[in-house]
Amino acid sequence: MKERNTTSTLKRILVNCSSQAKEYGGCVAKKVPEVERDMCLKEFLALKNCMQNVCLTSVFCYIKNFSMSANASSSQLTVGLSGSGGLSHAYVQYPPLKCNLPGSRGLYYDDANKLLLSPTSDQVFSWKTVPFSPHVAATADYINEGPVLSIRYSLDAKSIAVHRSNQEIQFFQRETRETFTHMCKSESESILGFFWTDCPVCDLVVVKTSGLDLLTVSFTSKSVNLVETKKLSVNWYVYTHGSRLVLLASGMQCKTLTGFQLSSVGIVRLPRFEMVMAKSDANSKPVLAAEDVFIITVYGRIYCLQIDRVAMQLHSYRFYRDAVVQQGSLPMFSSKISVSVVDNVLLVHQVDARVSILYDIFEDSRAPISAPLPLLLRGLPQSHTGRPVNVGESLDRNSSNHELMFYGDDWTFLVPDLICDVASKSVWKIHLDLEVISSSSSEVPSNLEFLQRRKLEASKTKQLCLAITRAFILERRPVTMVAKAIDVLVSSYSHSVKTCSNLKETKVDEASASVGTNASNSSRSAKDESRVGVGDKSFNLSASDSDDQSREIDSRDLQKSGKENLLGAESSRGEVQSSSLHTQQLGLGNNQLNANNSERQDSQLTSPAISPDEMYSCVFVPVGEEIVGDPSYLVAIIVEFLRSTNSEKIKVRPNIYVFTIQLLVRYERFAELSLLIINKVLEPSKEVAMQLLESGHQNPQMRKLALDMLRQLSLHHDYVTLLVQDGCYLEALRYARKHKVTSVRPSLFLEAALASKDSQHLAAVLRFFSDFIAGFRNTPEYQDYFRILNEMNTGLAV
Amino acid sequence: MQLCIFDLRRGQQEGQELDKILFFFPADLPFATQLSVIGLSEGLITFTRIFSPDAACEVIEAERHSHVFYEAESDIWMVMVVDKSKESKAACQVDALRKVLKEVHSLFVLFHGTMRSMLEKETSGGLIRSHLYPFITDYLSAYQKQSLLCNCCWDFLTGRKLQLPSFHDCLMERGTVQMLTVGREAAIEVQSLVKVLECSAGTTSCYSLVLFQDLLVSTTLSPDDTISLFTYAVLRLTPHALSSGATSWSYLQRTNAGSQVPALSTITNSGSVSDNIYRSRDASLDQENNCQVKRPLHHNRWFRGNDGFLASDIWGTDNGSQTSVTPIVYLQLTEERMYLCAYQHKSLTIILLVPVSSILNGEQGLSLVKQQVLENASLKMLMVEEKLSKGWGGENAYHVSGYRYLLVDDERVSRASPPAKVMTLAKESLLALSKLREEVNLEKKRAKCSNSEVNCDKELEICVRAKNGAWVIARTSRGKELYMVLEKASETLLYAADSVEKFSNRYCSGVFSLD
Repeated sequence: MKERNTTSTLKRILVNCSSQAKEYGGCVAKKVPEVERDMCLKEFLALKNCMQNVCLTSVFCYIKNFSMSANASSSQLTVGLSGSGGLSHAYVQYPPLKCNLPGSRGLYYDDANKLLLSPTSDQVFSWKTVPFSPHVAATADYINEGPVLSIRYSLDAKSIAVHRSNQEIQFFQRETRETFTHMCKSESESILGFFWTDCPVCDLVVVKTSGLDLLTVSFTSKSVNLVETKKLSVNWYVYTHGSRLVLLASGMQCKTLTGFQLSSVGIVRLPRFEMVMAKSDANSKPVLAAEDVFIITVYGRIYCLQIDRVAMQLHSYRFYRDAVVQQGSLPMFSSKISVSVVDNVLLVHQVDARVSILYDIFEDSRAPISAPLPLLLRGLPQSHTGRPVNVGESLDRNSSNHELMFYGDDWTFLVPDLICDVASKSVWKIHLDLEVISSSSSEVPSNLEFLQRRKLEASKTKQLCLAITRAFILERRPVTMVAKAIDVLVSSYSHSVKTCSNLKETKVDEASASVGTNASNSSRSAKDESRVGVGDKSFNLSASDSDDQSREIDSRDLQKSGKENLLGAESSRGEVQSSSLHTQQLGLGNNQLNANNSERQDSQLTSPAISPDEMYSCVFVPVGEEIVGDPSYLVAIIVEFLRSTNSEKIKVRPNIYVFTIQLLVRYERFAELSLLIINKVLEPSKEVAMQLLESGHQNPQMRKLALDMLRQLSLHHDYVTLLVQDGCYLEALRYARKHKVTSVRPSLFLEAALASKDSQHLAAVLRFFSDFIAGFRNTPEYQDYFRILNEMNTGLAV
Repeated sequence: MQLCIFDLRRGQQEGQELDKILFFFPADLPFATQLSVIGLSEGLITFTRIFSPDAACEVIEAERHSHVFYEAESDIWMVMVVDKSKESKAACQVDALRKVLKEVHSLFVLFHGTMRSMLEKETSGGLIRSHLYPFITDYLSAYQKQSLLCNCCWDFLTGRKLQLPSFHDCLMERGTVQMLTVGREAAIEVQSLVKVLECSAGTTSCYSLVLFQDLLVSTTLSPDDTISLFTYAVLRLTPHALSSGATSWSYLQRTNAGSQVPALSTITNSGSVSDNIYRSRDASLDQENNCQVKRPLHHNRWFRGNDGFLASDIWGTDNGSQTSVTPIVYLQLTEERMYLCAYQHKSLTIILLVPVSSILNGEQGLSLVKQQVLENASLKMLMVEEKLSKGWGGENAYHVSGYRYLLVDDERVSRASPPAKVMTLAKESLLALSKLREEVNLEKKRAKCSNSEVNCDKELEICVRAKNGAWVIARTSRGKELYMVLEKASETLLYAADSVEKFSNRYCSGVFSLD
């Protein structure tokens, strides 16, 4: 069955893709003496595309050559056919956000407020895209009739600015519907665009052919005031609010770029720099277009990607405070390229080739993290998938959906992660399928590293990481490999504790405090308070970049210190409300110091970092249950874990130690255990001591270690009680006297002394207590034992 | 000094008494004398067993001799007869002597298995005799050498005289391991290394022993095996032991070895002259087994190979390849046979025990394991060595100024002032301490006998002022013992007690300071 299918598929491929095959063959034949990698890529991709499409109609078709499964979708086919069961590293979720309104005059995206705007003749409708929901209702604001070139809400969302013409920007106040117009002064210059800013000196920046105008907008005086002008000849400009960076292109080829970063701490002018452009021949002078330059923000760093059509490369530049450094290039397989950033992963959409390639540019590596695969559509209601059709309106529009072209000409990629289909007026959000990405990677440590950097679906990512780690250990991989993986998780956790989430730290502290060290309560709470204070400060410094991983790129920190020369960016999620959001979060954290554990856990999932506690309960315990036989492998891994936490200075709760002791005791590896205890690899705590005592039934050495530990921890009560239990009541008495332990019942000592049948000892104990505890002589205990003592003595005398 | 080993189960019939003797030192003693020593010992054992069946006699103190008894295995006894020196009557501690016997036995068992099993294998006794003679002679000569290191006034030219443990050695404890104190971080690194070692050897039932200089860092063996293997390592494998033959000691060593070989030959020769039965049996066996009798304690036969693993030609070389054969040792509890692989990097010595049963094709399989260990763990070993040597305080790391001490934990782990420092003590102090230790041992034994059912160890505190005004102090508490000589503690008992208290709090986490 399978065989037959394959042969027929091959036949079909040969019939259908003959032209592409010829082209590719011809290309290769031309260059044959010097064969290299990626030669004739364009032709190859065309052939591949064709073959895939043919394959799709067959169920069993896997073209291994392409290192990917061929059940991908492509534009020649309607979306419906692509199926929702296909695997891809990135997908869009059905249904999209529909912005279809009668009388709409186009769609505009306000990336500062993350609003999708659609003006009609006298209104502008806006949809929030964060958080993304296909059912979000539009809000309408009234504007005057007139042409609209672009439209942006102010950062406080109180007013609207509409770019009317080359000379004119009109302002509307939303509440009062007041309006006024700002005109260009001279006829020689024209307005290219504008954006609102949170820069302290101005509200609005207008980009004109003659440079930048920094303006303040005042509705009370119904006017704008010019604060500053940056004179510069501008051909076109690029701006993203995420980076607060505007790039102005000038020169004949438009490849000389000047940048300004207008952030809440002020204005930074970047050095002018030239883009690299290959020439096809000596005389040609390719012109760089605005569409060829993308500003992206990844891990809080700002990069610029530039298309070089001649070299077929995507050059990347990184912006520092006083330098722009070219970082290397990514390959292009298509003349039309677009980029998105989802969860700090860069997606380069090779539009013509209809695939997207994912890059994680955290390190210098320019290797893609997975094979080129097309975006998939997920969640499309189809009868054969058996999924419930619960989107009522979608059914009748299914037909129109089927005409939705993936990677079609109507697709506009909006920063950072949206796709706008202009034709059907629908907006899609790109998601990453981390499961697929991680399953395609065989290097577990680096894979975990990648996952730990993902922040969007923190809880899901965390579960994925835990599952991967568990499987890795259960497969009994070499300890050194597992150690590497654990190092990744631990250092990621330590990082998350240090940078963003002080909630966790308090939690860890809480945990360690509950261990039963005798730190007084008052000092602890004082410590907590001070920590919150510190956290507060760090929040103020680290601005709005909650998903900013590396400290070095933290903009405000930098500009405060002024020492490093990195140009910081605010995160892609950096929003106007962010600072208030953080103070809220902080307040939350403050309250939660007193709240119970479960609530805290819900609110803190901002990063997939795995705490030692979760390592214990979600990795070690389940693995311990599944591993049969000798536990030394698991113990080896726990030791590696301890090494990792120790080097990161993370506290570990005693439950891991207790677990380790149980493992070792179960297989009677007492030599190792006592070494671990003596060297304090398993740190002393009451829990550990109690577990050792339990194992003391099998090995007296363990009991001794436990007693020593109790004494060293100054757990006087337990120590004295155990001494008495051991029959060493005299020693216990001496210890009790020295450390003033009065909590152990005298009767225990008396019973022990009586059991030794030594009347002198009994008398000594009795005497001791009558001296040691005031009023002991009046207790019935004293009477009883005094009588017994007398009887003993008379018995002896007789 | 005389040392004999005999088996009570053998030679029960008249005229076959010689069959009992498994070993006698010096061997050139006439058999009549040998038999009289053994006869006396046997008589005493039988007699004392009437009263104390479990623990027969331990020592006979005669006017000129002490007989120290040790029942190594059931009915196999080792007896040491020591001349009492004229100058000091209580010169040597009986307990220290017994520990010598214990040590030689445990080393023998480590390499050859129990004597009983050997006797069962070859009932004539020739096999065990041929093994015991070289083994114990090597051991005793090792003993000579050790004493040389400790005692500089020893005249090494009279190479055949043995320096037995004396009062000079009362601040050390034979048959214990000395541990290196490490911080938590280093300890974790060591543990991580140990785990990697065991995992990379491929089998689950590997054991390892890690030493730094002459100190134990980590072990996964049972306590008894740890002690015997540690003893062997310190004698023959550690960098100290390896270099002592090669460097300044080489000259002495050669003279020693020179004197040793004739000594050994006289053993066999005199044996052959003295008695017919004995000779014929022994000599023939000797010739047959000559190549098979391994001498694990033979001097200067270990060297560091190119791959970092220690090798020795004691066990011969492999026929196929020119690599030397890896020794096999026996674990006491399980009687499992293990390959002994020792790796050395600078001061770090790692002993890996791999079960013989887990390796199919002998040396070849073993070299594979070694390769794997190197691949997986060599980086870690470098790191651990670096970390440990950074944290190590040198030879006198455990010296506490003003104190000369010995700390024994559970009769397994000990720590003492460095020998060079102990040597500064006056003879009177040492003699007093030696006496005191004797006393404490007696007390301990008494406590053990009287309340064996109560697991509470005897608490003891003795402070003695020696003739020269030094304080000699012993304290025991919950299985831990502390012996101390304070020569400059001067005046009062209170002052001395205070010093002990301080020491206890600072170095023993307060174990000895209960009140």
